[in-house]
Amino acid sequence: MAQVELVDVCKRFGATEVVHDANLSIDDNEFIVLVGPSGCGKSTILRMIAGLETISGGEIKINGRRVNEVMPKDRDVAMVFQNYALYPHMSVFENMAFSLRMARLGKDEIHRKVNKAADILELTPYLQRKPAALSGGQRQRVAMGRAIVRSPSVFLFDEPLSNLDAQLRTQMRMELKKMHLKMKTTTIYVTHDQIEAMTLADRIVILKDGMVQQVGTPVEVYEKPDNRFVAGFIGNPPTNLLPAVVSRGSDGDEISFCGVTFPVTLPAGCKDQDQVLAGIRPDSIKRDGALAALPEQWLIDGKVVVSEIVGSQSLLEFTMGEASVIAELEGRVPAAPGQTMKLGLNLENLLLFDPETEQAIR
Amino acid sequence: MKKTIVAMLVAMAAMLLLVVGPAQSKGHLSGQLEIFSWWAGDEGPALQALIDLYEKAHPNVEVVNATVTGGSGVNAKAVLKTRMLGGEPPDSFQVHAGQELIGTWVKADRMEDLTFLFKEQGWMEAFPEGLVELIGTDAGIWSVPVNIHRSNVIWYVPANLDKWGIKAPESWDDFFAVAPKIKEAGVVPLALAQNWTANHLWESVALASLGPDNWDALWTGKLAFDSPEGVKAWELFGKVLEFTNDDASSLSWQQATDMVVDGRAAFNVMGDWAAGYMSTTKKLAPGSGFGWAAAPGTGGEFMFLADSFGLPKGAPNRDNVVAWLALLGSKEGSDAFNPLKGSISARTDSDLSVYNDYAKSASADFGKDRIVGSLAHGVTANEGFMNDFASVMEMFLKSRNAEAAGKAAQQIAMKNGIGK
Amino acid sequence: MPNRDRIKAFLTLLPSMILIGVFVYGFIGNTFWLSLTDWGGVAALAENPVRNYAGLTNYKELFTGFLGGGFRQDLVNAVYYSVMLLAGAIGTGLIIAILLDNKPRGEAVFRTIFLYPMSLSFIVTGTIWRWLLAPQGGVNILPTYAGLKPLEFKWLSSTGAIFEFNWQNLLLIGLYIVAAVLIVAGLMAIKQDPPRALKRFLLPGIAIGLATWLFGDLLPKALFMEETHGFNLATIGIIMATIWQYSGYTMALYLAGFTGISQDLRDASMLDGATTAQYYRYIALPMLKPITISAVIILSHISLKMFDLIFAMTGPDNAETGHPALNMYLTTFRANDFAKGAAIAIILFLIAATFIIPYLISSYRQRSTR
Repeated sequence: MAQVELVDVCKRFGATEVVHDANLSIDDNEFIVLVGPSGCGKSTILRMIAGLETISGGEIKINGRRVNEVMPKDRDVAMVFQNYALYPHMSVFENMAFSLRMARLGKDEIHRKVNKAADILELTPYLQRKPAALSGGQRQRVAMGRAIVRSPSVFLFDEPLSNLDAQLRTQMRMELKKMHLKMKTTTIYVTHDQIEAMTLADRIVILKDGMVQQVGTPVEVYEKPDNRFVAGFIGNPPTNLLPAVVSRGSDGDEISFCGVTFPVTLPAGCKDQDQVLAGIRPDSIKRDGALAALPEQWLIDGKVVVSEIVGSQSLLEFTMGEASVIAELEGRVPAAPGQTMKLGLNLENLLLFDPETEQAIR
Repeated sequence: MKKTIVAMLVAMAAMLLLVVGPAQSKGHLSGQLEIFSWWAGDEGPALQALIDLYEKAHPNVEVVNATVTGGSGVNAKAVLKTRMLGGEPPDSFQVHAGQELIGTWVKADRMEDLTFLFKEQGWMEAFPEGLVELIGTDAGIWSVPVNIHRSNVIWYVPANLDKWGIKAPESWDDFFAVAPKIKEAGVVPLALAQNWTANHLWESVALASLGPDNWDALWTGKLAFDSPEGVKAWELFGKVLEFTNDDASSLSWQQATDMVVDGRAAFNVMGDWAAGYMSTTKKLAPGSGFGWAAAPGTGGEFMFLADSFGLPKGAPNRDNVVAWLALLGSKEGSDAFNPLKGSISARTDSDLSVYNDYAKSASADFGKDRIVGSLAHGVTANEGFMNDFASVMEMFLKSRNAEAAGKAAQQIAMKNGIGK
Repeated sequence: MPNRDRIKAFLTLLPSMILIGVFVYGFIGNTFWLSLTDWGGVAALAENPVRNYAGLTNYKELFTGFLGGGFRQDLVNAVYYSVMLLAGAIGTGLIIAILLDNKPRGEAVFRTIFLYPMSLSFIVTGTIWRWLLAPQGGVNILPTYAGLKPLEFKWLSSTGAIFEFNWQNLLLIGLYIVAAVLIVAGLMAIKQDPPRALKRFLLPGIAIGLATWLFGDLLPKALFMEETHGFNLATIGIIMATIWQYSGYTMALYLAGFTGISQDLRDASMLDGATTAQYYRYIALPMLKPITISAVIILSHISLKMFDLIFAMTGPDNAETGHPALNMYLTTFRANDFAKGAAIAIILFLIAATFIIPYLISSYRQRSTR
């Protein structure tokens, strides 16, 4: 129900600038996830949108209206905090009703709205309890309920799931997604967990050191990372980055790394004999039956360092020449350390980065 | 059998010691002497002069000077009472002579009769007869007065009076004749301070109104406070109050004296410690810098108060105390103490050359005037009455109802057994 | 095993239990016994003073006797004094704490400045304020710096009084207060539970009020003569000094509490649409209820025990600013009326208990429900 636009937004604390010229345009109904390592400025951006931090430079617009000077309560945004920030002396009902009371709504309307939200979040039995008497998941839902009752234009989430245990987190993640599908409210969600980012987002914004690295759909940022950082941050295990040299010959393009030369199709940005970083996703490494689908030149011998079986998949660390490479293989792969194994690299998904600028070569 | 003999021998030895001990120590006393007083501030040097004399005479006695600060002994008296109740009396303690001592300690049978000492030292003749009467009862004499202060004195600055063209009033009628004139000139006719000074003023006014015989009769129970004479005293007091400053209760007595010194007030009725304050602190010469007279209507009467020391029963070092008390009453002792304290000696034969001009005149009056006791300073009434009288005074200051004050005063007199 | 632990715990506590039993409760008991005797008067200080059982004579005399007027005014003073001190010190401390909580420049310096008076003894405070409030100095000459006429108010010696009432009508007033409290409580509860509010509070309140109004004249008079008591204006000076000394303390209490509240809660309330004032009103202050309660208890105790400050500021005999604690001391140690002094002590003790006991009960209940 609202577009949010960031134009050259920056934030300075004294002399240190923690957010540099962030530009972002968020569409109506979109679910945007800001992701990045801690200290990347993602929470600061969220708090600037909420109005809890002043904006040092640039502009934030909600529905086309500049909100830099607008008080938090007048921005029509609701926020869910990492530690929920429930008012401990108020019951669940009072917590959810507080913003409505501040807005001077009538008693009946408050009851109607809170009861409706409680119904959606299955909190009805707990309305008279104090937060201290609730479980972590229930508190989380109260925090969400507090945001929902106001039916704001924009939802802001600041790492809302990080205080939950792993199982509950997955479950709540799904519920969040479902709720967004149902309510279709513009949502900005901050997390450091790339899985949450990948699963929830319509678009992901990857941040590092206060700078936007890439904005794109989960598939885009996974398949076409704009730079080395994004390639390393998105995807688990991270992309293998190997120093390589490319050559463009008359009989086709080639890339050499770890002492092996592979025939590939190089992107236009590559010049002959360029030094590059070759990025290979662990799931682009195949074995056994999958090998048949690959050209023979893409097959290699890997010397197993260690192998971990994770459910139906296996993580395999092997050496290729001097370099250590991680592969994510289908099926349970029993492998003894030191054993040599036939593996294939799917170089169709090869990522290339300039070692100097760390930008993707396309 | 053997045990009994040993026990008997021990007992005999102990008795010998008990009998011989005191006799031996008569000449050269030893041990301790604890003197309990509230003389810590300006009066410290005067007390020290006495202690020095004592130590010179009895070098083997260790004098413990236990002072508890607080004017008029407000704190000291409370400490003393807890000590006495706890069965730990000091060797000798300071107390206002008269009913304050008698009503509290003599009636409680905690003091030794000192008649023997008075006779032995010849004090019956050395002290004025009226004084001995007031500090004693039928059953004995209970303390040795160290000093004498006069309560009924009116103070002024002669130069200011000349300026305003008035004289020190000899009666309250004189005062009422000039007071409105002074008041019109923007000067307070009579400076008054916080509440106890109102009591102090009251006793001078009441003495003027009643005369010394009736004043004494009040305290022997022969005259009631709510008798016509008693009520008249309150009426006069109320009239006098009209010429006092209305911020009185937030001033100390020194500040009231300052008003006179600074010319903001014409007169002040205060005890003669004011002379010490004006000559020592304010550096005014007695006679020319400041002047005095008996409070209006009390000429020829000397309303006294005295600090004294007594001998509590069960004092740990009785012999040392007796020697101390003998020193206090001696000419040597009182003439060492009083010039420093700013008071006069209780003895009629003191050496006037060591005293200042005010003290000389006071001494002369003390020798010839009719002596009456002060209420505000504990001579004529016990502590219970004094405490309740403060409430009556409060009531009067608020209501100015002489009849009611007289009735109230009579009630508290009955309650506290005045004259019994 | 738990049995042995219990024995050990009991043995560890035993010495302090015995000491407290003897030196606190034993002495309270002894004081109470003394207050029922006639210990006082001329032979009060005899080595073995005579103490006859006298029942409630001392209490009766204090509340209805002719000479108890001073005490009654002191008691009224103490009530006004407590109320004003609580409102003043908590209000001022709270305002300063809120100002400092918003992190002005030099916050640490201000905090120290405001807390500093706490470290002074009452005697020092009393002396300072005695000078400040002197009739021709200090506060009263402040306006002259602005070219105005000096103030004339006699801070410590004014004989004026406001909110006066006649002690004779004590019962009447008491009943009116009870009626008013019941009616107010009823009005507050009527929204949640109308029948109960009506039955428990409103109807009895109105009934008592009406009955008092109609038949109040039939009530026995507490005193045989008219005696007005009120809020003595002279106590304003004392109250000011105490507030000056203790607002820093309540400020520190509240500031510590405010600092302990997570910034997120403040942010959340801002997003929920609360203004700064509403944040403190609805979020911060309710969360600091325990702090408020302890401040109320501590301050009310201080005000009930107040002695040295009054002594230093106005001396022992200034009836305008009298206080039961001072009266107790003078009655006991100056008038030698030990029994009456003990009675005053017990009355003070009971007033203090009315503050403490509800607190103890509520905190005990809270603990047992947890």
